[in-house]
Amino acid sequence: MSLPTGSIPFRENAAQAIRNEALRAAMRNATGVFAVKRADAVSAVPLEEWRDKASETRLQVLDHLADYVDRFAKSAVRAGATVHRAKDAETAREIVACLLKDHGIQKAVKSKSMISEEIHLNDYLEKQGVTVVETDLGEYIIQIAREHPSHIIVPAIHKDRRQVGKLFAEKLGCAYTEDPAALTKIARAKLRQEFLSAEAGISGANFAVADSGSLVIFTNEGNGRMCTTLPRLHIAVTSIEKIIPSVADLPKFIRLLPRSATGQVVTTYLSMITGTRKAGEATGAKDLHIVLLDNGRSSIVAGEYREMLKCIRCGACLNACPVYQTVGGHAYGSTYPGPMGIILTVLLEGMERAHTLLDATTLCGACADVCPVKVPLPRLLRRLREQRTEMGLTPTMERQGMAGFGMAAKSPTLFGAGQQAARLLWPLARKIGVKGTLARMPIPAEQPFRRRIS
Amino acid sequence: MTQDAAIDLFVENAEKAGARVVRVSSAHELNEVLSGMLEGATAVYSPGVTPTEKGLAIPPDRSTEDYVNASACVEEVSAAVAETGSLVCSSQGGKPVQAGLLPGHHIAIVAAEHVYEDLDRFFAALGDAPPTNITLETGPSRTADIELTLTIGVHGPDRLSIIVV
Repeated sequence: MSLPTGSIPFRENAAQAIRNEALRAAMRNATGVFAVKRADAVSAVPLEEWRDKASETRLQVLDHLADYVDRFAKSAVRAGATVHRAKDAETAREIVACLLKDHGIQKAVKSKSMISEEIHLNDYLEKQGVTVVETDLGEYIIQIAREHPSHIIVPAIHKDRRQVGKLFAEKLGCAYTEDPAALTKIARAKLRQEFLSAEAGISGANFAVADSGSLVIFTNEGNGRMCTTLPRLHIAVTSIEKIIPSVADLPKFIRLLPRSATGQVVTTYLSMITGTRKAGEATGAKDLHIVLLDNGRSSIVAGEYREMLKCIRCGACLNACPVYQTVGGHAYGSTYPGPMGIILTVLLEGMERAHTLLDATTLCGACADVCPVKVPLPRLLRRLREQRTEMGLTPTMERQGMAGFGMAAKSPTLFGAGQQAARLLWPLARKIGVKGTLARMPIPAEQPFRRRIS
Repeated sequence: MTQDAAIDLFVENAEKAGARVVRVSSAHELNEVLSGMLEGATAVYSPGVTPTEKGLAIPPDRSTEDYVNASACVEEVSAAVAETGSLVCSSQGGKPVQAGLLPGHHIAIVAAEHVYEDLDRFFAALGDAPPTNITLETGPSRTADIELTLTIGVHGPDRLSIIVV
């Protein structure tokens, strides 16, 4: 099988991940716990009604996305924020770097944001001489390990406590411990100093409210609240599809996001930031800049994959996916892993580069069952696969195999001959000692099933 | 739902989220509960801006204006939501929302009449011109970032006490 140059080597990554016992144990534990917690959290609520309503609201925004972006920008400006529009990742990175430079800031604290991962913000800022300190514990672990998140909610899900203990001892110079509580205390002490001395806070947003210009951020640790209330400058980078119409729409998403993500009724902190510090107030940045990232969304919303933009990034489809559960997030080689990640990556980075990820699904539909906003993930995945075939990017073996099977399936004679051939050739193949997939194939039955029942 | 039922639900859900909740019915009782909660607190920050708080017996020798280094923060929060067991911390009226976050012990006082039954009622009342910062706080700061093991007190307080007046 030959890949176009530059496509993500998913098969190779997955083969490696499957052999990593520690990774597989961590993934089994984590995704199992999440599945149980989510199921508990939604068992006694009118989930279907909530999902329908939330999906409807998301579609309402997508139907008039450009208008909602304007509405949000206007409201945010009225509340005292400065709004920047970035058509792509490069523009967004430059805006953030320029803002920090203009304010003479060399160090910023940051609250977890997948959009910042999508635009590779940290690497870029570091090259410009800015130190970015991740403050979410999971992100902090990933940052000092110099890795990338493997889950959109729990970035360090692939690491066990011993690995974190070793990492802290090595990089932070503390005594080795594998007690999560002790490790958390170490990070708290380190990061508290960063919060208090930081002059800028960088965040994303889970939602942006069109009518009020508010940014809404969900965190459990309190780092989002710190990053957005302590430093004098706050820069929020968010993508345009995160917009919801009004403050009154918030409850339906508050009810669904934490339940779907971690099985919580609500996260510990839910911060709503509306503009800058006003006269007589003692909270809030003096300067708030909101970078609205498009990065392909405007064209996605006009096409047949628009429903992908309903996604609220809860991670439930990752936890439910048998492929993600087995190989973990890094195998995808993309910012977003799991079912939503495959679709988004193909849409954002192009079929040429990401079509290999379309092998990372069994189309079992478990993702669609848990999606809080009813994104038709399996349908979108199937459609992308068709498109891949149309573009001639399907692996040659698969294409020829499917063509052969298609021909045989239409003719009972040919089909029977094929079965007969498999039975006769099987002992021979074993004698030669076939390897790989062929060796793992089930032994053909003495009598085909359709003969046995006829 | 009656207001009493809403308060009961708030207490139940806040306790489920890991907060300690006490209900009091007089200023005397409030001060008694408070002094118990403040035992062991070395520096207490209390933005005395509301009528409820003005009558509070914060020990003067342990009171501080520096919330960054305080060990406890006592404040009246603007509202609570029964559905989720959340407190509503607001920047309205000049309150530093971050003050409830930095000290290890956050003691929040909430007036019974400010308890909303659910999120819809609260956000409808808030409207589309909210103050600069509104934070819903539900239980103490937590993380499960290491092996999904629940750990309390990451960046925020590891103890949350609520007094419903």
